[in-house]
Amino acid sequence: MARIGVFLCHCGSNIAGAVNVPVVAEAARKLPQVVYVEDNKFTCSDPGQASIQKAITEHKLNRVVIGACSPRMHEATFRRTVAGAGLNPYLLEIANLREHCSWVHPDQVEEATAKAIDLVRRAVARVAWQEPLTPKHVGITRRALVIGGGIAGIQASLDIADAGYEVILVEREPSIGGHMAQLDKTFPTLDCSACILTPKMTMVGQHANIKLMSYSEVEEVSGYIGNFRVKIKNKSRYIDMSKCTGCGECPKVCPVELNSEFNENLGKRKATYIPFPQAIPNKYTIDKRGYPPCRVACPAGVNAQGYVALISQGKFKEALEVLRRTMPFAGVCGRVCTHPCEKDCERGKVDQPIAIRALKRFMADYELKAGREKAAPVEMTKEEKIAIIGSGPAGLACAYDLVRLGYPLTVFESAPEAGGLLRYGIPEYRLPKEVINNEISYMQELGVEIKTDTPVKDLTKIFNEGFKAVFMGTGAGISQKMGIPGENTPGVLHALDFLRQVNFGVKVSLGNKVAVVGGGNAAIDAARIAQRLGVKEITVVYRRGRAEMPAIPSEIEEMEREGVKIKFLAAPVKVLSKDNKVIGIQCIRMELGTPDASGRRRPVPIKGSEFTIDVDNVIIAIGQGVDKSTLPEGLDYTNWETLSVDPITLQTNIDGVFAGGDAVSGPADVIAAVAAGKEAAISIDRYLSGQDLKEGRPEVREKVKDVPKEGVVKKERVVMPTLELGKRGGSFAEVELGFDEKTAIEEAKRCLNCAVCSECRECEKVCEAKAIDHEMQEKISEEEVGAIVVATGADVLDHTQFSIYGGGVYPDVVSTLQIERMMNAAGPTDGEVVRPSDGAHPKEVVFISCVGSRDKRTGSGYCNKVCCMVMAKQAIMLKEHAPDTHSYIIYTVDRGPGGKIFEEFMTRAEKEGTTYMRGQIDSVARQNGRLLISGQDFLTNETFNIPADLVVLATGLMPTEDAARLFQTLHISYDAKNYLVQAHPKLRPVETAMDGIFIAGCAIAPTDVPESVAQGGAAAEYVLKLFSQESIEAEPMTSIVDIIRCTGCLLCKQVCPFQAIEAETLRDGRTVASINESLCKGCGICVAACRPGAIKLRGFSDQQIMAEVMAL
Amino acid sequence: MKSEYQPKVIGFLCNWCSYAGADMAGTARMRYPQNIRIIRVPCSGRVDPLFVVKCFQRGVDGVLVSGCHPGDCHYTEGNYHTRRRFALLREFLDYLGIAKERLRVEWVSASEGQKFAELLSDFTTELAKLGPRSRV
Repeated sequence: MARIGVFLCHCGSNIAGAVNVPVVAEAARKLPQVVYVEDNKFTCSDPGQASIQKAITEHKLNRVVIGACSPRMHEATFRRTVAGAGLNPYLLEIANLREHCSWVHPDQVEEATAKAIDLVRRAVARVAWQEPLTPKHVGITRRALVIGGGIAGIQASLDIADAGYEVILVEREPSIGGHMAQLDKTFPTLDCSACILTPKMTMVGQHANIKLMSYSEVEEVSGYIGNFRVKIKNKSRYIDMSKCTGCGECPKVCPVELNSEFNENLGKRKATYIPFPQAIPNKYTIDKRGYPPCRVACPAGVNAQGYVALISQGKFKEALEVLRRTMPFAGVCGRVCTHPCEKDCERGKVDQPIAIRALKRFMADYELKAGREKAAPVEMTKEEKIAIIGSGPAGLACAYDLVRLGYPLTVFESAPEAGGLLRYGIPEYRLPKEVINNEISYMQELGVEIKTDTPVKDLTKIFNEGFKAVFMGTGAGISQKMGIPGENTPGVLHALDFLRQVNFGVKVSLGNKVAVVGGGNAAIDAARIAQRLGVKEITVVYRRGRAEMPAIPSEIEEMEREGVKIKFLAAPVKVLSKDNKVIGIQCIRMELGTPDASGRRRPVPIKGSEFTIDVDNVIIAIGQGVDKSTLPEGLDYTNWETLSVDPITLQTNIDGVFAGGDAVSGPADVIAAVAAGKEAAISIDRYLSGQDLKEGRPEVREKVKDVPKEGVVKKERVVMPTLELGKRGGSFAEVELGFDEKTAIEEAKRCLNCAVCSECRECEKVCEAKAIDHEMQEKISEEEVGAIVVATGADVLDHTQFSIYGGGVYPDVVSTLQIERMMNAAGPTDGEVVRPSDGAHPKEVVFISCVGSRDKRTGSGYCNKVCCMVMAKQAIMLKEHAPDTHSYIIYTVDRGPGGKIFEEFMTRAEKEGTTYMRGQIDSVARQNGRLLISGQDFLTNETFNIPADLVVLATGLMPTEDAARLFQTLHISYDAKNYLVQAHPKLRPVETAMDGIFIAGCAIAPTDVPESVAQGGAAAEYVLKLFSQESIEAEPMTSIVDIIRCTGCLLCKQVCPFQAIEAETLRDGRTVASINESLCKGCGICVAACRPGAIKLRGFSDQQIMAEVMAL
Repeated sequence: MKSEYQPKVIGFLCNWCSYAGADMAGTARMRYPQNIRIIRVPCSGRVDPLFVVKCFQRGVDGVLVSGCHPGDCHYTEGNYHTRRRFALLREFLDYLGIAKERLRVEWVSASEGQKFAELLSDFTTELAKLGPRSRV
C-alpha cells in the first residue's frame, strides 16, 4: 500500500502565475493512495526541501511526487532531498508543471490548471509502481582525453596534467596551436600571439603527464563516465618522430610544392613540411594522400608522378632512377607505350593530360646523350637459379626484378638478338635499336645473363641443369591466317614475318601497290614500313570503322599524313592472282551489327557488294597467336590457344613453371607484358622461399580522391615535334623527335601532383637521421580514459565565397586571417602587408564587417563576436607597420561588443586615424588598378565611393568540418550549425548531457582567447572533480530479464546497441537472454522488442508507463 | 481559438532530445495548444506500439512519438527501431479503423524548442479537423 505525498511548487510566480495551485492541491488530495498534499513557494530552496523531509518522516510517506520545474532541472536535487529523509531516491516522480505547462500556457489559467491536474495524476499513478533501486559503484580510470589542441584544449590539458593526472591530447593537424598560432597579435593587449602561446605549447610537449598524439583523430568512443574506451587513428607521417631532428634538409629537395594552409593560401609549402617554425611537435610530416591516378592506371604500377615531379625540377638523372625502381624500359616505353596513365591523368580534367610517355622518353634520351655510367652488378645473395625463356619485355621485366632480389638467372632467347617483338616487330622509325640495346645492356650490367640463339623445348632438361624455377615469356609470335582462297600465293606476306625480315635487315621487295589487311599496330607498322620501302600506293583494309581501330591513334594519324589510305568497313574474301603472282584482292563491304565478345560491334558482310583493289602485294596483319610447335610439351592451353595460368600467381600446370605476357594473354601491349613479368617475379620469389603465393594479391592501390583544381591556370599540353613529312620517305629515322630540356621542364610543371608527396624519395637521400619511412602505416591506438574534454574549435569562413564583395574575384580582396599571416614576421610576406596582385604597399585599406555573420543567406545567422576587435587590432597594427596607411572600418550594426578593455581599444583605433563608418556596402569593383567600394552611410544618409588598395573581409567562424561525426560517436548534442549544446546554457556552460564529457572553446560558439582559456580551465576543473571521487554511482535504471517469460528468441540480443545481452543456458537446458548490467545503458529498446514482455527496464517498466497512459 | 472540441494528445518524448526540446520551448516562453500530456521515456526506442494502441483504445485523439534525429540518438540506434516499428504500426492503424494522421513520429532535437511548439500547433489543428475519435 503506497503512502504518496504530493508537493506542489509555486516557483514564485513562474508556476503559480499561470496555474491555480490550490485547485491542483485539492484535486491531488482526492487521488488514490495520496495521504498528504502540500504546496511551497520555492520547493528547491533549503526550507522547501526541509519541508519535504519533515513530511516524509511525520506522515510515513513511502512515495513522493513533486509538481515543479522539469525533472531535467532538479530531479537530482530532489532525489538527494528524499534520500536525506531516509527514503530510496528512486521512489520519486516529478510532474513538469513549469516548462511543459505554466510557461507555455501563461494566459489560460483554466486549461493550464486542468493540464497541471492531469500531469500530477499521471505522476501519482506512476510513482505507485516505482520500486527502490540501488546504484552500483564503479571505479574511475583517472586519465583524461582532450580532443583538440587549440588554446582551449592546451589549457585543459595543462591544468589536468599539473594536478597529477595523465592526459591524452589528440590533435588532427601535425602541430598543436590551432588558429591562435596563425595570429600575429592578440586583442586588446597586442601581445604577440606566438609569444604567449608557445610557452604553453612547449609545456604540453614536454609535460611528463601529457601524451600528445598529433596528426591523429578520434575514431570511436564507447563506455560511460569513468570508464570510456577510445579508438584513435594515428595517421602516418611517413617520418619516425623519434628520429627526426627537424633539420630541414628534406623540404629543400622535395619537388612538390602546394599552397600552404597555415598561410591561408598566400604562400607555398612542400609535401614534407612543418606547418610553422614553433610547431609542437617540431617534426616534419610528409603529406601523402594515396596513389596518384597515373600510377594506379599503369598495369606495372610505375610511379609517373615521381619522375614527372623530378623532371620539373631539372633533376633528370634522379627522375630516371625513380622509373628504374619499377622497370628498366624508359626509352622503350617512352616511345611505344599505350599510356593508360594519360587517360586517367587529373590534369586532363582541366585542359589536357600530362605528356607522361614523352617525358619518360626524355629522361632516357637525356641519359643516352650524356652517356650512361656502367651499372654496378647486383650482389647475388640467393642460391636458387632461375631460367627465363624469352627475352621480350615480359621475360626481361621478370629478370630485372629477380636479379635485383639477388637471384642468379639466365635468359634463354631463340633469336640471334634479345628483345623479342621490341626488336623484331616494332619498326626502327618508332623504336631505334640503339635504345633497345642500351636498356638491355643496362640489365646485363646488373647481372642478367642472356643466351641468344638458344631455343628451349625441354623443361625437364632445364630443371636437371639445376634451375629451380622457370618463367616463360615466349610471346605470341606467329601471324594468324585469314583462311581466304589465294592466301598462299607468292606476294602475300604475313605481318610478323614481314616485320621480322625488315628488322633483320633482309631486303624485301614489294611492288608499287600494296594492301595491308588489319587495324592494329602491326598493320600500321607494316603500312608505314612499306611506305619507306618505296611503295607508291598503300591501302589499309579494315573491316570495322575508324572508332573501332585498336592501333594507337597518333600512329594512325601519322600514317595517313604519310599518304597511306584506309578503306574502312571492308574485308578481303579472295586473293586474285595471275601467273602465280598477286594482282589484286577481292573485298566485300561490311556493316556493323551487334557487339561480339570483345564488346565491339561485329562486322557483317553486305551481300553483293564485292569490289576489287589492284595490288602487287598483300600484307595480312589480322592477329597474332602462340606458336605451340616451339613450346615445351606438357603445358596446358586455354580455348584461345594461349598458355593457361592461374590469374593471380601466373603459375602454369607444371610446378615451378610460371608464364606471362603475350604467351598467356594473346597479343597485348608492352606495359601489360612488363606487368606480367613483375607479377611472375613476385610469385617465383615466394615460391622459392616457401611463402604463400596468393596472400595479399592482387595488390589494391587506392586512388587519391578529390584532387583540388582551384587556381590552376589553363595551359595547353606541349605538342611532340615530328620529322617533316618531306624527310621521311625511304628513311627509317625516328619520326617523333622528343622534347628538349626546356620543353620537358615546362610540360612537367603542369602536373597537379595529385597524391601530393610523389614518393620520388629524394628526401630519404638527404635525411641523415634516417627518419623517413615511406612504407609506414597508420595505426589505431586503443585507450581507456575516465573523462573527455571536447575542444575541437572552429574554422574561419572562406572569404572567396563572398563574390559580392569581390572575394574570390579580386586578389586584393583578402580575409582578416590573411592579413594576420602577412603581418606575421614568419609569414609568407616576411611581415609586410602587401597587395597580393602586385606586391605594392597599400595606402588605403577598407575593412568590411559582418561578412557572412548575421546573414541568413550564407547560413551563419549569428554574430561571430571576435571580428570587430580583430579589425580594430589590424587597423592599429597597419598604422604601426606603415604610418602612411589609412584604414576604414565599415560596420552595419555597432562597432563592437562589450568586453574588458574592448571599448578603450576601439577608441584607440579611432584616435590613431581609423575612420569608422556605419553603413552598407553596395559593391566592390575594380577601377584603375585599385578597388572602388561603394555604399550608403547610415549616419549621414549619403552614398560613399571609396577608392582603396586593399579590402579586408571580416568573415566569421563556423564549426570544423566533420565535427558532427565526432559528436555522434560521443553521443553529445549539437545544433543545426554543428556547434555543441551545453547541459544548461546559463549554469552548466562547459558540461554536456553526457556525464563525463566536457566542452570548451569555439566548438561551443565563436569566442575569443581569454574565454577559451577560461572554459578550458573550467572543463579541467570538472575532470579533476570527477577524479577526486572514490567511485561513481552507475545508473541503476538497467534492464532485467524474467526468465520464466523469456522464450529464448534472442531478438533483444539483436537490437541492443551496446552488446549487453547474451544467450544463457539454464540448468534445465532452456536458453534465455541474460543482460549484463554493467553494459546496459537503460535505453529500453529490448523491452519494446520483447514479444512475451519478459524484460523489465527498472525505472521505466511497462507497468509504470501503462499506469501513466491509464491515468491520462 | 476556443472551439468546443479539444483533441486529446499524448506525447512520448525521449529524455535526451525531445523532452529537452520541449523544455526549451518552455524556457523560451513559446506558446502552443494545451492539449498535450507528455510521458517521458529514456529513448523513443522504448516506446512499445502497445502503449500507442492503448492510448487510442482509451479515447486519445492523437499520439506523438518523438526522438532524436537519426544519427544523433543518445543510444546510437534507438530511433531507427522507432522509425521501423511505427512505420509498421501506422499501416496497422488503418486496419483498426484509426486515421493514420492521428499518429505522428517526429524528430526533435534538444535545441529545437520552436520546432516542437510549431509541431504541436500543427498537430492540434489537424486533429481538430479530423474530429473526435470513436472508441475502439
